[in-house]
Amino acid sequence: MKLSRRDLLVWSAGAAAGLLATPVPWKILDDTSIWSQNWPWIPQPARCPVETRQSVCTLCPKGCGLRVRMAGGWAVGVAGLNTHPLSRGALCPLAYAAHQLNWHPQRLRVVQHRTNPSSWEQARAAFAKASKEGPVVIIDGYPGRAASALFETYTEGRDGNYCVVPSPEIRALTPYESWTGVPAHCLGYDLENTRTIVSFGAPLLDGWGTPGRFTRIWADRAAGRSDPELRLIQIDSSLSRTAARAWRWVRSREGTHAALASGLARALLEQNLVPAHGPIPATTLAESAVQCDISMEAILELGRSLVAKSPTLVIARDDSPAIAALNVLLGSVGARGGVVRHSQHSNLRSYTGSDVQNARAVLIDSSVPWNFMPQTDAEVFRFAAWHGASTKADWLLPAPGFLEELTDVPTPPASSLASYAVAPPLVKSATEVHSAAQFLSSIDARLIPTEKMIYTRCEDLFRRRAGTVHAHSAIPISELASVQKLVEQLWQGAVWVGEPSPDKLRCRLQEWPSATRSSPPDDGITDWIPPVMPALASKLYVESTLREAAERRKAWAPATAW
Amino acid sequence: MRRWRNPLVFAFGVAVALFLGWVAFPRVLYSQKHQPLDFLHKTHAEKSGLTDCAECHVIREDGIFAGLPATEKCAGCHSERIGESKAEAILVDSYIKPAQETPWLVYSRQPANVWFSHAIHVKRANLSCAECHSSYGEQDSVRMYQVNRISGYSRDLWGHSMSRLRNGPHEGMKMSDCEKCHRQRNVEVGCLGCHQ
Amino acid sequence: MGARYGMVIDLDRCTGCGSCMIACASENNVPALPQASPRTGLTPVLVRKVSNGQSGAGRRETFIPIMCMHCEHETPCVKVCPQQAVELDKATGIVMQMPQRCLGCRYCMTACPYHARFFNWWDPAWPQGMEKSLNPGVAVRMRGVVEKCNLCHARLHAAKEKAAAAGKRDIDSSDYVPACVEACPTNAIHFGNLADPNDPVSKEARSPQAFRLLARLGTEPKVYYKSTENWVRNLAEPNSAQGSEVQHG
Repeated sequence: MKLSRRDLLVWSAGAAAGLLATPVPWKILDDTSIWSQNWPWIPQPARCPVETRQSVCTLCPKGCGLRVRMAGGWAVGVAGLNTHPLSRGALCPLAYAAHQLNWHPQRLRVVQHRTNPSSWEQARAAFAKASKEGPVVIIDGYPGRAASALFETYTEGRDGNYCVVPSPEIRALTPYESWTGVPAHCLGYDLENTRTIVSFGAPLLDGWGTPGRFTRIWADRAAGRSDPELRLIQIDSSLSRTAARAWRWVRSREGTHAALASGLARALLEQNLVPAHGPIPATTLAESAVQCDISMEAILELGRSLVAKSPTLVIARDDSPAIAALNVLLGSVGARGGVVRHSQHSNLRSYTGSDVQNARAVLIDSSVPWNFMPQTDAEVFRFAAWHGASTKADWLLPAPGFLEELTDVPTPPASSLASYAVAPPLVKSATEVHSAAQFLSSIDARLIPTEKMIYTRCEDLFRRRAGTVHAHSAIPISELASVQKLVEQLWQGAVWVGEPSPDKLRCRLQEWPSATRSSPPDDGITDWIPPVMPALASKLYVESTLREAAERRKAWAPATAW
Repeated sequence: MRRWRNPLVFAFGVAVALFLGWVAFPRVLYSQKHQPLDFLHKTHAEKSGLTDCAECHVIREDGIFAGLPATEKCAGCHSERIGESKAEAILVDSYIKPAQETPWLVYSRQPANVWFSHAIHVKRANLSCAECHSSYGEQDSVRMYQVNRISGYSRDLWGHSMSRLRNGPHEGMKMSDCEKCHRQRNVEVGCLGCHQ
Repeated sequence: MGARYGMVIDLDRCTGCGSCMIACASENNVPALPQASPRTGLTPVLVRKVSNGQSGAGRRETFIPIMCMHCEHETPCVKVCPQQAVELDKATGIVMQMPQRCLGCRYCMTACPYHARFFNWWDPAWPQGMEKSLNPGVAVRMRGVVEKCNLCHARLHAAKEKAAAAGKRDIDSSDYVPACVEACPTNAIHFGNLADPNDPVSKEARSPQAFRLLARLGTEPKVYYKSTENWVRNLAEPNSAQGSEVQHG
C-alpha cells in the first residue's frame, strides 16, 4: 500500500479534528493568555509580609517622623508619623519616594579618586597622610549630631577647623546673635503661640522648617477662614505658593524687603503702635515707599494690621538684619509667640571662605548640600550618598543613604523647643559605605564611635529628668523606669521634647541696621537643595505644571537609560 | 477496501491526535522540579505534635498570612540536627546556619495581580485548610512540583485532570474555581475584591 | 446599601506641593520612565494650577488635584469598555479598573471627561535594584493597558484583612486611608463614605462651598471640591458663586 499525498492530507484532517477533542488547543490558549498577562520581564514586588517600623528622616536636618513599611528587609513605602510632635504626620514631597533613592542611578557606590575607581584603604591612607602634612578642615551640614561632636573632637588639638553650613532657617536667625548673645543654632520661632506672621519671602508653606510643623498649624488655624486665628502676611515680589494661600499677599519690588521692613518700622513708630524707646530707621517712610513701590498709605495700613492680632512674628528668608530688627521693635524677641531660645549650646563656627584657604585637606560630610562649592586648592574628601552637581572633589566617598545608618536627630532648625530622636538603620547598603564619622573613627582610634556617643546622650537626657517622650502618647521622661526604656523608645521612632527655656532672652539693639542688601553667603547657599531628586518626584513635576519651566529643567534628573 | 481507506486514515489521524493530546501532551507540558528539600508534613504532625496547621502557617494579628514559615521558625527546633535524614542536613547546613530563606516551590502560587486573603477565608468564612489545599498536611511523601512550561505556574492551579472534569473537590485554583465556590455560598465580590 | 467612598478636596488648603502625586505613584508602583512627557506620562493624581487670569497684584492662583472621580451615574468609562475591564463596585462605589483585562483600545480615555485615565505606553522598568522597593500590595502593570486611580485598593484589602483577623465584619475607617489623603501636609483631601449621613465628608459635600467639576454632565462624580473663594467656584461652574468675596492674598 503506497502512501499518497491524499493520505497525508486526510490523516492531517483527522489529526486536526481529533486535536480539537484533546486539551491541546484549549490548554495552550489558556496558558498563553496567562503568560501574556504575566510577562516574566515585568518586575513584580516581593511576596513577603509587610512590617511597619518607625524612624526619622535624615535626608535633611528637619527630622520628620516616619513610618516605614518593610518587606523582605527592604523599605517599600514611606508615610508620616502622626504622633511626632513636630512633623505631625506630614513630610516633604521627596520623602514619599525616598525609599527608592538608595537605588537611584546616581547613587555613589564605589570610592572615586579623581574619576578613577579607588578603594577605602587608599582613601584612608591619603587622608591620614594629608592630616599629618597640614591643617584639616571639616565641614558639616547637619550640626548637633553625635557625628558632629566627633568632628569637633577630631579638630580639637589638631591644626584645623570644624565649621558648619547652616540651613537657611538658621541663617535667617544670625542677626539675633549679636543682639541677644545667643547663637543662631539655639534660636527658633514659637509658631505654635503666635497670631500674626509676617514672612518676608520665606516659603513657609513650601518647604520651610520641618514641613509638617507650619503647614499643620496653618491648616488648623488659618486655612479657608475669612478671619483666621493665625494671620499669615506674605511679602513676595510675585505670587509664590505661600503668597497664594496667605491671608494677605503684599507685593513688593524684588530685593526691597529690607527697605519695606524699615518702612514698616517707621509706620509702627509714627502711629504709636509700638513703644518708642528703641532705635529708629535712618530712612523715612516716604523713601521706603518709593524703594518698594508701595504707597505710604498701604505701608501705614500694613503696620496697623501687623499689631491688630498680637503676638506678631517676623520671619525673613535671609539674614537681613533690618527685617530681624522689626521683631525687636514688636517685642517679639524672647517673648511668647516670637523668637525664642530652645537650648543651650556652645557657639558653632559658620563656614567662611577663609576657612579653607590654607587647608591641606577638606573633609565634607554627606549632609552638606551639593550647591556648596568651596574655593580651595586643598585635597577635598567629599562624602556623599548620591552624585550631585559636578564639583571639584579629589575623593568621592560613598556615604550611607536613606535609612542605612544609625544616627541621631538633634533639634531641627526653627524649632521652639529642644528635641532629640534617633534614626535606626532599617535597610542594608548594597555596597560598602562609610559615613565621614565612621571614616575618621577608623583612622583615629581615640575617637569615641557615634553609637556610643548617642547612648551617652540618652543617658544624659535620662539623668536630667526634664521633658517628654512622644511615642504613641506623650510620657514625661521622669516616668520612664530606666535608660534602657528610653533607648528602646527612641530606637522605635519616639522623640524627646524639652521644656521651654526658663530664662528670659535679653535683646539689645543699639541702632537700626542699615537697609542695604545683605551679601550672599560665602558658601553660595540660599536654599537647601537635595543632591538628587527621587526619580518619581522629577517625573511628576515634569508631567504636571506644578513647578515652573526653569525649575522643571533643574529638577529633571539627566535621562539615564535603564 | 478502497471505500474505507479515507475514513480509516482519518480515524487513524484522530487516534494519533487523541493519544498525543491526552497522553503525551501533559507529560510534555509540565516539567518536574524538586523542592529544595523533602519536607514531610506527616512526620512533623506525628513526631513533633504539630497537629494544627496554624502552628507554622500563621495568620498574624493584622491579618497578614505568613504562609511559608521563615527559616527562623524551623530553627526553633532544628538549629542543630536532631535527626538522621538527608533533608534535615540540607536544611541545617544550607539554610539555617547561613540564615537564608528556603526557596520553596509554592504549589498554590498565584499571579501577582491576584489578592487572596487567608484571614477572610479562614476566620470569617471558616474554611478549613483542606478545603482548598486538600490533604497536604497528611502527606507522607513530598509531591513533585509540576510546573506548566508555558504559563510558569504550578499544575495545581489547573488541577491534575487535563479536562478538569475529573478534578477532585479540593483541586484546582483557577479563577473559575474561586467563582464557583463564591456562587455556591452567595458571596459577591467585585473584580478588585480578588485582584490588586 | 453599600458604602460610597468619595472625597472632598479643600482648595483653600492645597499648596501645590505635589506630595499627593508622589505618594500615589509610590504606592501604586508607577515607574518614572525618562521617555515620558506630560502627554504620555502616568499620573493617577495630577495637580493642576489655575489662576484668575489677571497679572500683577490682582492675580490669584489655586491648585487642584485631579484624579478619577469615581462617577456613579452612567459611568462613561464603564459604558464604553469593550472588555468589561472596568466596573462600578456596588459595595464600595469605587470604579474598579482591571489592567489585566484591558486590551488597550483606550476608548475609556476618550470617554473620561476628566482626563483621569492613563495609558502604559511602555513596559515599566526601574533602575537595577529598585524593584526591591516596590509596594507588595499592588501588581505592576505591563505596557498596553490603561490604568487610573483605584482609591488605593491595596489599603482597603489590608483593612479588610485586619478586620477579618479581629473577627469583625466591617473595616475600621482609620485603617483605610488612601495614599494621597495620608500624604497631604495641610490635610486638604478628606476621604470618607458619602453614603453615611454622619460622616464628616458626607456633610462637607453637602455644604454650599462644595462643588464638583463638570457636574452638569450628570455623571455624578464622587470627588467634591470646596473653596471659599468665589473666583474658584465660578471657574468650575460659571456664575455659581455670588455674594461677598472672601479676601485672600
